[in-house]
Amino acid sequence: MLALWSIALRTLVAERGKFITALVGVVFSVVLVNVQGGLFLGLLRKASLLVDCGGADIWVGHRGMFNVDLAADIPRRWVYRVRSVPGVAVAQPYLLGHSTMTLPDGGFESVLVIGCERSTLLGNAWMMREGRAADVVRTDGIIVDAWEAVKLGDPQVGSLREIGRRRARVVGTSDGILGFLITPYVFTTLDRASEFLHKPSDVCSYVLVQLEPGADAHQVCHEIRRRLPKADAWPREVYGRMCVEYWIRRTGLGISFGCSTLLGLLVGMVIVAQTLYASVLDRIQEFGTLKAMGADHGQLYRMLLAQAVFMAALGSAVGVILVALIVGAFSTPVAPIVTPAWLVGASTVLVVVVCVLSSLLPFWRVRRVDPLLVLQS
Amino acid sequence: MSPLRHVHPRRASERGAETAVSAAPPVVVEGLCKQYARGGTATPVLRGVDLRVERGECVFLTGPSGSGKSTLLAILGCILTPDAGVVRILGENLGLLDAHRRTLLRRQRIGFVFQRFQLLRGLTALHNVAVPLQLCGVPPATALVRAMRLLEQVGLRERAHALPSQLSAGQCQRVALARALAVEPELILADEPTANLDEYHGLEAMRLLRELAAARGRTLVVVTHDVRILPFADRVFRLEHGRLQPGEARLVDAGGTRGV
Repeated sequence: MLALWSIALRTLVAERGKFITALVGVVFSVVLVNVQGGLFLGLLRKASLLVDCGGADIWVGHRGMFNVDLAADIPRRWVYRVRSVPGVAVAQPYLLGHSTMTLPDGGFESVLVIGCERSTLLGNAWMMREGRAADVVRTDGIIVDAWEAVKLGDPQVGSLREIGRRRARVVGTSDGILGFLITPYVFTTLDRASEFLHKPSDVCSYVLVQLEPGADAHQVCHEIRRRLPKADAWPREVYGRMCVEYWIRRTGLGISFGCSTLLGLLVGMVIVAQTLYASVLDRIQEFGTLKAMGADHGQLYRMLLAQAVFMAALGSAVGVILVALIVGAFSTPVAPIVTPAWLVGASTVLVVVVCVLSSLLPFWRVRRVDPLLVLQS
Repeated sequence: MSPLRHVHPRRASERGAETAVSAAPPVVVEGLCKQYARGGTATPVLRGVDLRVERGECVFLTGPSGSGKSTLLAILGCILTPDAGVVRILGENLGLLDAHRRTLLRRQRIGFVFQRFQLLRGLTALHNVAVPLQLCGVPPATALVRAMRLLEQVGLRERAHALPSQLSAGQCQRVALARALAVEPELILADEPTANLDEYHGLEAMRLLRELAAARGRTLVVVTHDVRILPFADRVFRLEHGRLQPGEARLVDAGGTRGV
């Protein structure tokens, strides 16, 4: 087998033009799959960012809650019922709602106001670029994201804005806390959020729970739902997944990204198959010679397979390097390209499978080559 | 049990030596018939050919184009099967061998020299010579050592790493000769080995082929139009209208140079 690989690879590399064309096809596939997949994962990560990074172990909200950014009001007094559940260490109200920020130039921008309880700041901004997260408790304090500078009129620390006709002062900027929606997040305290949103002080959107060490999240959720029949309670991972699934189902995002990824694979497969096929057509006499010398179909297929796998491996290696460069150059919190190891691994396996399938087409042609043709010159 | 069953692919060279002592003539053909279907009608190409080639003998097949020389060579090389008659190659009755065993016989015990050399253009001379060994499962490193030894014997050691495109026609044919001998085949079949060479290189190639085959005691069957190389043959047959006409036997010394 090793011996055949050496023949296969040498003949493959010898035809530099065709080899490079096929390689480009594989690299294209790898890059497309990884970048498309990475953008998809990046977008999905934004959908559950607040849940994943907010610091709560359990999210309690209105029955049927489905997406963190689209919350319904619940009575703030539920906080006390939740605190009474065994296993709950901290339970704090959390408020989310849409309002309008008036900009210095007279324009305005729709924002998603997020209010957290000032005593624990559970669910407050993290990843700060300027200022401290704790500064949000300062008078009129708000934290906005530096990546939303264009939308929010370049908010500098200390600058003033108006939200819901109330004064707001930027006390810090975060670095990359962006939601799935195009609406910028504005972090503030719970009471100030109620003012910005013109909501009564006895409502909130969620109760955020931190568990005592060793407490079982699912059991606590079950108990909360039992005590508050109109509430839903989900562990962080579950609610994060629900948020992601909401966008995938409602927007058809999965289908869209899936199709383009599939297209990338298909293009790669066609290029590899076509190149191998053209290469075989070009070397029909050589395959005839190999058959005349006693090469059987198994050996010839292994040679084609070796060529396909080699192209897949080399193309994947080059593709992964390119993906790393692309991620380094173009991935931002606005359009994050998330390429975890499993995505890179899965895409490589996929490309290898595609290339192996591609080798079947030229093999079909090679099977039909008659060794007699080398004696009929 | 058939000799093929004893053959281990990694012992191609040893196998050649073992079977060389077999008493059976390498080629025995009796009443061979072959026809092709052309335009819906069957056209006979070989009509009752009888041929027996002894071990170490060099036999030339001549005849006009379309007389069936290549067909006969293809049958002797286990590429085609006879429609009628008995063909025994290296003791194996072709009619009783399935396709896989015919392929094995060809790979392990028969060497081919083609008119257009048929070198793999992506491989160097050295790697081209190593191909039959690698098809037999010889590890690449061992195959390359043996291939280099063969290239040395055909005087191309210095050109071992050249691609076919960098070699002259004469050099390509010498590489092809080395390749045909790589697995130490008991039977060497040559199809117009001098047709693409000028007179000097044609004679040189034939002299080399004859010498190498004779030195190893191998049997050689050559299809040719080239009357200049006929003196290299022990016997010459002429194929006409699908029938083999006995030709004049010639004696050639071990160097294969008499009469040239």
